[in-house]
Amino acid sequence: MACLVACVVLGGAGCGVAAEAGPPRAVTERFFAALAEGRAGEACALLARQAAEKVAEEEPCDRALAGLGLPAGGAVREVAVWGDEAQVRMAGDTVFLHRYADGWRIRAAGCRPDPPRPYDCEVEA
Amino acid sequence: MKRFLRDNGLTLFFLGAFLLSLLGQALAGQARYNEQQLTDGGDPIPLLSYVGSSDFAVDVAENWQSEYLQFLLFIVVTVWLVQRGSPESKRIKDIGDESEEQQQMGAYAHEESPGWARGYGWRRSVYANSLGLVMGLIFVLSWLGQSVAGTAAYNAERLSRLQDPVSWGQYLGSAEFWSRTFQNWQSEMLAVASMVVLSIYLRQRASPESKPVGEAHATTGEEN
Repeated sequence: MACLVACVVLGGAGCGVAAEAGPPRAVTERFFAALAEGRAGEACALLARQAAEKVAEEEPCDRALAGLGLPAGGAVREVAVWGDEAQVRMAGDTVFLHRYADGWRIRAAGCRPDPPRPYDCEVEA
Repeated sequence: MKRFLRDNGLTLFFLGAFLLSLLGQALAGQARYNEQQLTDGGDPIPLLSYVGSSDFAVDVAENWQSEYLQFLLFIVVTVWLVQRGSPESKRIKDIGDESEEQQQMGAYAHEESPGWARGYGWRRSVYANSLGLVMGLIFVLSWLGQSVAGTAAYNAERLSRLQDPVSWGQYLGSAEFWSRTFQNWQSEMLAVASMVVLSIYLRQRASPESKPVGEAHATTGEEN
């Protein structure tokens, strides 16, 4: 509890428990690596079920995801983890993830800020 | 054992009621949380995980801080403010700090007075205000707890809505924080005001919170 207090009070908005940042960061990096190397099916497997279903509304997920032309992720700049939600800011994109029973999955990718409204995302659950 | 239960019944009753209520809040809160999780396509969580979550912590802390604020204000404000006819008020002529003789402190302390009430200097000053100080400390810590757990819960909610998280400082200035705070404060202030005024005219036989049933409406404080 003392750690959480110090973290929240002294840290910034992205403070969200550094030890927990690893898994969502790793999933995000695998997602963009798979896309960059033409393994869209593998990238689809890293999407949250609802996001994958939405992408695959008109054609199979791998083809639809490859066709979206998501920006290259690039280097990870910041990871924020709060509860079961995470945001990974990269040089070329911002990604939102949710922690499910079987691990972190991407809920939204290809996101552009649109303050004060939510991010406008190409892929969204 | 019987005697212990009788002598401490008030504390034991409220501690028991507190624990049962907290359990009820945890169970109902977990059910509500899991309902939302399923709606959002997430997985339900076990009770222990919910009890350790910022959602549960902020709901608990926001109620605690307002209760301790209510008692802190009631304890401190009643030193200087009175209500004619209310048993919750002291007598009109006693407004203020009262004399050391009335407070049985310093030279007027008796054999059974607490040690720090008999002494002089900072110990006596601290002890003379210790109830308010401790209630105030618990209020501040609970409010801090509300703000910390609230930041975590609010940020999880913002991320789920595809919005950037905020810092603790930003959360302290947010409508979310002040809405949670004021909605609790208003009910506490209303409850105290009602108790002070209703106890002028209404009675509860044999309750120390009430005047005796036949006491005049105009009687204030310990005159009864």
